[in-house]
Amino acid sequence: MAFSTLSTYSSNTYIPKTSSPINRRHTIRCSSSPISTQFDIKTYWTALIKEIDQKLNDAVPLQHPKPIHESMRYSLLADGAKRAPTVMCVSAFELFGGNRVAAMPTACALEMVHAASLVHNELPCMDDAPSRRDQPSNHSKFGVNVAILTGDSLFTLGFRHIVAQTPTDIIPHDRLVRVITEIARTFGSTGMAAGRFLDLEFEPNTANFVREKKFGEMGQCSAACGGLLAGASDDEIQRLRKYGKSVGVLYQIVDDVLEAKTDGERKKEGKSYVSVHGVERAMEVAEGLRSQAKKELDGLEKYGDNILPLHSFVDYAVDRGSIDW
Amino acid sequence: MDDDPSRRGQPSNHTIFGVDMAILAGDALFPLGFRHIVSQTPPDLVPETRLLRVIAEIARAVGSTGMAAGQFLDLEGSTNAVDFVQEKKFGEMGQCSAVCGGLLAGASDDEIQQLRIYGQAVGVLYQVVDDILEAKVKKEENEEEKKKSKSYVSVYGVEKAMEVADELRSQAKKELEGLEKYGDKVLPLYSFLDYAADRGFSFTPPV
Repeated sequence: MAFSTLSTYSSNTYIPKTSSPINRRHTIRCSSSPISTQFDIKTYWTALIKEIDQKLNDAVPLQHPKPIHESMRYSLLADGAKRAPTVMCVSAFELFGGNRVAAMPTACALEMVHAASLVHNELPCMDDAPSRRDQPSNHSKFGVNVAILTGDSLFTLGFRHIVAQTPTDIIPHDRLVRVITEIARTFGSTGMAAGRFLDLEFEPNTANFVREKKFGEMGQCSAACGGLLAGASDDEIQRLRKYGKSVGVLYQIVDDVLEAKTDGERKKEGKSYVSVHGVERAMEVAEGLRSQAKKELDGLEKYGDNILPLHSFVDYAVDRGSIDW
Repeated sequence: MDDDPSRRGQPSNHTIFGVDMAILAGDALFPLGFRHIVSQTPPDLVPETRLLRVIAEIARAVGSTGMAAGQFLDLEGSTNAVDFVQEKKFGEMGQCSAVCGGLLAGASDDEIQQLRIYGQAVGVLYQVVDDILEAKVKKEENEEEKKKSKSYVSVYGVEKAMEVADELRSQAKKELEGLEKYGDKVLPLYSFLDYAADRGFSFTPPV
């Protein structure tokens, strides 16, 4: 079933094959915005995933030394990757009417730095994760040394890629500089690195969105980059930032809800919001974040239909988690 | 990785702060470098185009075909790759630094290339001479080979290493000669080369 390519879990998904989840949603709830039900997020997103996967594949050819590049490809081109950073960036960019070809290098770069961050986070000295989405973690397969170098390489490649591949006849240099600054700030000592540090330091069962915050940072960054590339106003960038942050966090919460529903396992051992507060409460929080995200989009309604993907993205993110089985 | 307990007499980062903090510190210092370039470079003096080129150059030098490649091959430990490892681990940094200087100044492509070769040669030369000096000290003290990684000296011996150092010095000098139109401004680059080569001993008369 095509829709399952967008899911983060294995093929024994609980979504029934007889009807599409979007149709089911109408019978269960009417709280979602009527705007987004007209937009085919599934097709839009699937096409975008295909496009970005192709570009990422081309961006990391198997060159010398092979093991490093093999490892980079392993983590970057993982099966079932949803490419949420890409969607946020490209949709935010397209909001302002641009041709997505100009935003694709930045979207690719976001996937690269995101993958880099995950590879390092999974290391034994950090989260010590043996696998992710049923795929063995990078260090399990290639060893810790290669995993460290892979993270470093993917991170640096992101920056190279933006500069080397962005058509500078379409995107002025000052915007690229702003994008690079944005990504550097997000991943630095006051952004993701700080979050990762807090995550390590945290006592279990006192979860305070530390885990989820990391994804909020990523979402914020992606949406902001889309706006920066498009030359959006400071006010518009702020709105996109807040939108991205809300969506990033709610996405992770719903991911955890789905995992709890399908597996019943508490894999994250008291570190995720869901494992501490339960599914019901988590979904309430997700709904709250949905409203927050939509509120920001309200301020961008002058862009008409261009806003549909951003609306639909939020709805899809939340409604995946509220379908009864 | 290299499992170094100390560097230049100072305990290594992970020894003091732990491995997890060391990884985060490394991950944070890198983007800080880029932020610093952008926020601190006077925009009236350096156009954004040049900043982007510098950022791309640094990213390339550190990445999967640069220093990371060198580090990987070094860890693999193959003696066949010692030249490549030296070039990647030490030559890249030298190359990158010299090239960035030229990029910021708006140098021509030819001049950037000359700086690249100069920087590469000096970077490797510096390391080879370090190894030669260490080998001499060890011989005097009869210490065992401590380093895990392969150096020119441990693979080719001191004699050959000194020949290599000599060649690198000539290479670097040749590139500087191509920049002689800049007069006295080239002197620091010559002096730096001399220092890299001559610390502790002379194997050819200085320039």
